[in-house]
Amino acid sequence: MNAHEQLIQTIDLRKHFGSLEVLRGISTSFEKGDVAVIIGPSGSGKSTFLRCLNLLETPTSGQVIFEGVDITRAGHDLDLHRRKMGMVFQLFNLFPHMTVLDNITLAPIKLRGLSKEEAENRAMELLKRVGLTDKALVHPAKLSGGQKQRIAIVRALAMQPDVMLFDEPTSALDPEMVGEVLEVMRDLAAEGMTMIVVTHEMRFAREVGKRILFMDGGLIAEEGPPEKVFGAPENQRTREFLRKVL
Amino acid sequence: MNFAFLNKYWQFYLVGAKNTILLAALAVIIGTAIGLFLSLLKLSSRKPLRFIASAYIEFIRGTPLLVQLFIIYYGLQAVGIRFPDIPWIGAILGINFSDFMSGVITLGLNSGAYVAEIFRAGIQAVDKGQMEAARSLGMPHRMAMQHIIIPQAIRNILPALGNEFVVVIKESSIVSIIGIGELMYKADTIRGNTFQPFEPLLVAALIYFLMTYPLSKLLAYIERRMHSGERS
Repeated sequence: MNAHEQLIQTIDLRKHFGSLEVLRGISTSFEKGDVAVIIGPSGSGKSTFLRCLNLLETPTSGQVIFEGVDITRAGHDLDLHRRKMGMVFQLFNLFPHMTVLDNITLAPIKLRGLSKEEAENRAMELLKRVGLTDKALVHPAKLSGGQKQRIAIVRALAMQPDVMLFDEPTSALDPEMVGEVLEVMRDLAAEGMTMIVVTHEMRFAREVGKRILFMDGGLIAEEGPPEKVFGAPENQRTREFLRKVL
Repeated sequence: MNFAFLNKYWQFYLVGAKNTILLAALAVIIGTAIGLFLSLLKLSSRKPLRFIASAYIEFIRGTPLLVQLFIIYYGLQAVGIRFPDIPWIGAILGINFSDFMSGVITLGLNSGAYVAEIFRAGIQAVDKGQMEAARSLGMPHRMAMQHIIIPQAIRNILPALGNEFVVVIKESSIVSIIGIGELMYKADTIRGNTFQPFEPLLVAALIYFLMTYPLSKLLAYIERRMHSGERS
């Protein structure tokens, strides 16, 4: 496999909510091993764009090409592709009626055909990595926000995805819990996981991001390596945004 | 007040109560199955399916149960549809099985419409993020419903569903009109035999209450237990 193989490509992606045009034609691509951080003001379409990548949001027009397949085209099994795209949500969305372990093992058992034992062993390994093995048998309601989000990351990783999508993973957390989640994401990036992250954490974007995409008004206004986007932004809107948030 | 008739007729009440419970239990099973099915139709993305479910629910809720009972009991016979009479079951129950089924099916069809709305509301009350999380893992819609949405919806549904069970027990008294020997019918028989209009019905009312009240309490207890196990 080519190291610079394109994992996800979008072509002129557009999304309307009624008369509101949230995405106004986004064409970009993400390579294997990419750590792309999407920043921008609220309402710029960041989350919608991310959610279009695994078609949780159906684009009004345009294409999403994942591992060489146009998944926006009708007549193929979208679920098979989604299994290779892990997603982490702002509000965690853990399954409250199941233990942490069941949260993690349900999809691998049902969808990847792992035995219960195999899935649980792998889940425990992943829990060890995020330091939460002691929480395996509790229900999510007993966890702190930071713990929930680390479990949510593990749940997505348990499917062994080719890419991880993060939709503002720390926005709903108390400030003292942001660090523990970013730490896990940092480790993940260091291991070479392909990641696309929508976040307001500028320090994380600068330190961990290999590529920054600045979105504004439903378009990618500027993109480049963090040194360039943070250090010498070309776009007027990028400069204004960074002045406000930094 | 004179309750001396109980010495002679207590077994009537026993049989009647047994038949009422049987009638209500079967009706509730049918009603829950129909209700779940209708609620899924109603939440479908396909318009014709939603329309069928809505039409059914609105019709049932907009017409009297007595009229529905007569349509099933007399109407279906008139057009040549008759529930088969299975004598040995009838003998065990001490009633005409074919008539009994008319009652069960009417109550079940009726309850199904109400249960459908209970299920729909319960399913829609589950956080949207749950379905998204399940789909993002690659679960097909049906699997997500089965493992993620419906188990959580049950918790929203249980109180209202329990209440529906209680309602069915009470409303089952209406099938006494077509001669099914349930509690109300038996009480009426005793009333006719003893020429006492008041006391036999009081006893029937008490027996209905003794069925519904513990049931509500039991459901409240189950509901509390479900919550304490997984929340807080």
